[in-house]
Amino acid sequence: MTTPRFVRPAALALFVAVIAVAGFGLRSIEAAPATSTAKTLDNLNAAFNGESNAHARYLAFAAKAGEEGYGEVASLFRAAARAESIHAANHAAVIKKLGGVPKADIQVPDVKSTKENLEAAIKGESYERDTMYPEFLAQARKEGQRDAIQTFNFAKSVEAEHAKLYTAALDNLGALKGSQAKPFYVCTVCGNTTAQMNFEKCPVCFNSKDKYVQVS
Amino acid sequence: MFELPPIPTWDGLHPLIVHFPIALLLVAPLFIVLALLVGRHSTLFMTSALVLMVLGTAASYVAVSTGEAAGKLADRTPEVNQVLQHHEQLAERTRLTFTVLTIVFAGLLAGPAVLKRPLARVPATVLTLLFLGVYGAGAIVLANTAHNGGRLVHELGVRSLMPPAPIPVASADLDD
Repeated sequence: MTTPRFVRPAALALFVAVIAVAGFGLRSIEAAPATSTAKTLDNLNAAFNGESNAHARYLAFAAKAGEEGYGEVASLFRAAARAESIHAANHAAVIKKLGGVPKADIQVPDVKSTKENLEAAIKGESYERDTMYPEFLAQARKEGQRDAIQTFNFAKSVEAEHAKLYTAALDNLGALKGSQAKPFYVCTVCGNTTAQMNFEKCPVCFNSKDKYVQVS
Repeated sequence: MFELPPIPTWDGLHPLIVHFPIALLLVAPLFIVLALLVGRHSTLFMTSALVLMVLGTAASYVAVSTGEAAGKLADRTPEVNQVLQHHEQLAERTRLTFTVLTIVFAGLLAGPAVLKRPLARVPATVLTLLFLGVYGAGAIVLANTAHNGGRLVHELGVRSLMPPAPIPVASADLDD
């Protein structure tokens, strides 16, 4: 069976038409009105400041937990501190991409007993999970800021995990007295923190589990 | 009326592309059944099934990749996380299953010709029926993947970010 003569020119014309249509579509995206980023940029800076302070606070809490003989709780605080520094770095990268300069005002941490420190940490993580990040996400969605949505989303998911881990530690604090350092695993992409690596891909950012580092 | 919609971003492509592997990979075995039933143009039907499988499997690779990008932007709750992880695992299993099935089917089709040893009618039919059985198991994995994706959207309200486009003027306003 031979191909009719008109098939090749018709196929070529169709190909050119598809490319032209695709090009026109891309042009329409470029011409789309730019949305304001001011509010999301403010939110990113607030989140960067919060995560940077959380990093410093958790390191101080870890030292106190070590002093009081809660080795496992100290490890958890160190792992969470690492996660918060990853969130801060992620937020900073988006701030720079949007033309801003990341700034943090690091406060001297208010360190109390490990029990009180855990309670304060749960309160902070719950606020970020239930109030701060949902509001920031809503605004970023309104502005269509994909990078901001992603970094807020990662942080929100991980803060929820931190709240769970802190709550479990507080509930079990008596038994943790005299405990040794325990390995925790932190995703270097999204900061997800876990005590068990029972997955192939990070459940938060879907990267390979090779991206995790051990913190103890 | 003749304005083109904006081209979606990679993550925004997911809701469009996911329907391709579902449709293509579920229609492909019907062509194999037709080949078995009709007999006369069986090579044509079998080749059509292979083309559908290749396209469907290729679309599954795009679907998994765009899905991961969309998942990073999805509004997360503990429930969403659970279903999303399950959906993601099933999607990867679907992709692997149909990659293997497509290669095996290509082998079944091309093997006898390449080896210049055509299969007799009975063994060819038995092999094809066996293949259809395994394909059915793969189709169940695919259906479960689709079901979990549907749950994310229609039950849990997870949405993709679409590129901005002007809101159309109501037809009543146009009449004024």
